[in-house]
Amino acid sequence: MAIIQVNDLVKTYQVGETETRALDGVSLTIEPGEFTALVGPSGSGKTTLLQMIGCLDKPDRGAVLINGQDVTKLSANRRADLRSQQIGFVFQFFALVPVLSAYENVELPLLLTGVGGKERKERVMHLLDAVGLADRADNRPDQMSGGQQQRVAVARALASRPAIILADEPTANLDTANGEQIMGIMQRLNQETGTAFVFATHDPRVMSFVRRIVTLRDGQVVDDVNAEAAIAEITPLTPEAEEIILTSS
Amino acid sequence: MAFGKLFTIAFRDLGRNRRRTLFTMIAVAMGLALTVIMSGLIADVYDQALEDNIRLETGHLQLRAESYESDKVSLKWEDLIDNPDEIAAVVDGMEEVVTAAPVLWGSAIVDTADESASLKLFGIETASPFHDPIREAIVAGSFLDDADRNGILLGQRLVDELGLSLNQQISVSAVDSNGEPQEDLFTIRGIFSTGIPAYDQSTLFMTLDKAQALTLTDGHASAIVVMLHDQHDADRVAAALSGSGLKRLTWRDLNSTLIDLLSTGQVIYNIMYAIVLLIVAVVLANTLLMAVFERIREMGILAALGMKRNQIMFMYVLEAFIIGLFGVAIGLALGGVGVAYLARNGIYIGDVGASVEGMALGTSMHATFDAGMTFWLSVATLGFTLIASLYPAWFAGRMEPAEALRG
Ligand SMILES: Nc1ncnc2c1ncn2[C@@H]1O[C@H](COP(=O)(O)OP(=O)(O)OP(=O)(O)O)[C@@H](O)[C@H]1O
Ligand SMILES: [Mg+2]
Repeated sequence: MAIIQVNDLVKTYQVGETETRALDGVSLTIEPGEFTALVGPSGSGKTTLLQMIGCLDKPDRGAVLINGQDVTKLSANRRADLRSQQIGFVFQFFALVPVLSAYENVELPLLLTGVGGKERKERVMHLLDAVGLADRADNRPDQMSGGQQQRVAVARALASRPAIILADEPTANLDTANGEQIMGIMQRLNQETGTAFVFATHDPRVMSFVRRIVTLRDGQVVDDVNAEAAIAEITPLTPEAEEIILTSS
Repeated sequence: MAFGKLFTIAFRDLGRNRRRTLFTMIAVAMGLALTVIMSGLIADVYDQALEDNIRLETGHLQLRAESYESDKVSLKWEDLIDNPDEIAAVVDGMEEVVTAAPVLWGSAIVDTADESASLKLFGIETASPFHDPIREAIVAGSFLDDADRNGILLGQRLVDELGLSLNQQISVSAVDSNGEPQEDLFTIRGIFSTGIPAYDQSTLFMTLDKAQALTLTDGHASAIVVMLHDQHDADRVAAALSGSGLKRLTWRDLNSTLIDLLSTGQVIYNIMYAIVLLIVAVVLANTLLMAVFERIREMGILAALGMKRNQIMFMYVLEAFIIGLFGVAIGLALGGVGVAYLARNGIYIGDVGASVEGMALGTSMHATFDAGMTFWLSVATLGFTLIASLYPAWFAGRMEPAEALRG
């Protein structure tokens, strides 16, 4: 069964007199373990689509099925439960809780899902280790670089072992090396854990990692291709990226 | 979700803008301190007024003839006690009793060349310890003794007002038991100053014998005034004296005006306290609302992680609670210091006290630590801070996560 099934989704934003149709009948199916990018020009509806899939907002019309369950009908609390159990988020801005250490940030979803003492600790340390930040466990976000913060965010997104990770422009605020490092880490974790990743991005570096590229324009899906073929065309991997991927996997 | 983490986040969030947090705590503290000091002053005014009234006028217990009506200051024989000495002796013998003394109350007018003043006349048994407060308040001349047939005591304020002086002879007229005026010449033997303007202005003492002679009441007394070791014994002693055939009034009955004033006053004071605390609550709500606005995106993150609305709201209530708790602690310390200072030094209020009817007010106000009231004010302060946090908390919890994430 598809992990995500989006059916004829419509979302309109009203600002004053003007109405923007951010999503105009989007249908999309994502299978477990996919590594997929949503691309398209600015304003094409990528973020909006991720928010609908992530139960962060409700569509005007259409359905979002996560594991076969229509989440658009759920109450705010049930959607919160679903997010904490099934969905991890990575954002463009390094969305850590500023008053919590790296360790505590990664721990937070586990506290929300009620994972107990010893296991919680092991999982947090394992994840920090996986993103190469075990030695930064006690650092607060403002004591870490952007790349490090984003790696903590990835670790946090994976903490509750979600089926899906939604990442909105995860590399946009990172330099090339850090961007590729984070993509490499996510790719490895995707392979190791089988978590489906959906990216919204403009970044060719991201596209070079994914296996499927869905293109949106004006709130509609206009293209949906297997990326393997496209990779070579877009950008060859930089030597750094290659090295990172090799060393990290 | 582990409560501990919500608390940690709330606590650390408070540290992000230390100055703002501190100022808000100080606002809470000042509010509480102010109300504690106010309640301390009020408690002392009433305690003192009650104590002075008991000490100088009413005693803890009075025995009167059934038909005696105090507002008429009746001197008719049937309204008086006809064997006061015997009864006083019996009461005086009781274990709980410090002293029991007969008194005769009347109305007197003092005339000088160009002024006159109407006074409360006290005919007293001068040796009784009941009158020690006046004995100790003598500032010129001397106290009376029972043999003194034409000496009187007047208050300093009255003497000053009428331009009288010690040892001066003056004419005093009093209403007798038949309602007729009787006049005699007296010498100002002593001048007292109790520090209570209303009292020092309107009281005249002479010996019981002389008062009885002047008012033609012949051995009668208006009341037996009783002082007890412990005022809580008043009801018990009153019950024990039920066989006397006299009306027994405890200090509560005798000071009912004052006690009523206290309880009606309390409503007004409580409203005042509530206003002070309400202002504090507004300051706090404003601080929290600012914090909510600054952290909208963070709340979006927390929501994205699966934190529920009520957990996000609870975090802000916790912030308020922490501010409230520290504020109350600081406020209690400040209030305690304020009360202690005022207990020792007081505030001078001059003659204001003279104008308050039915209350023996001095010329300065002191404070007494009112533990019960302070407890309730602390609870109320915390309660107000929690209530104040509800709106910001609701505001924080009401947004869709997507909206919050946009910042
Ligand atoms: N909260 C909102 N209020 C009003 N309009 C909105 C809102 N969010 C998005 N839109 C509009 O909806 C459309 C789709 O926006 P969306 O953010 O999904 O685009 P995007 O593909 O993520 O763009 P970008 O690549 O710039 O991030 C845009 O026209 C945008 O202006
Ligand atoms: Mg976007």
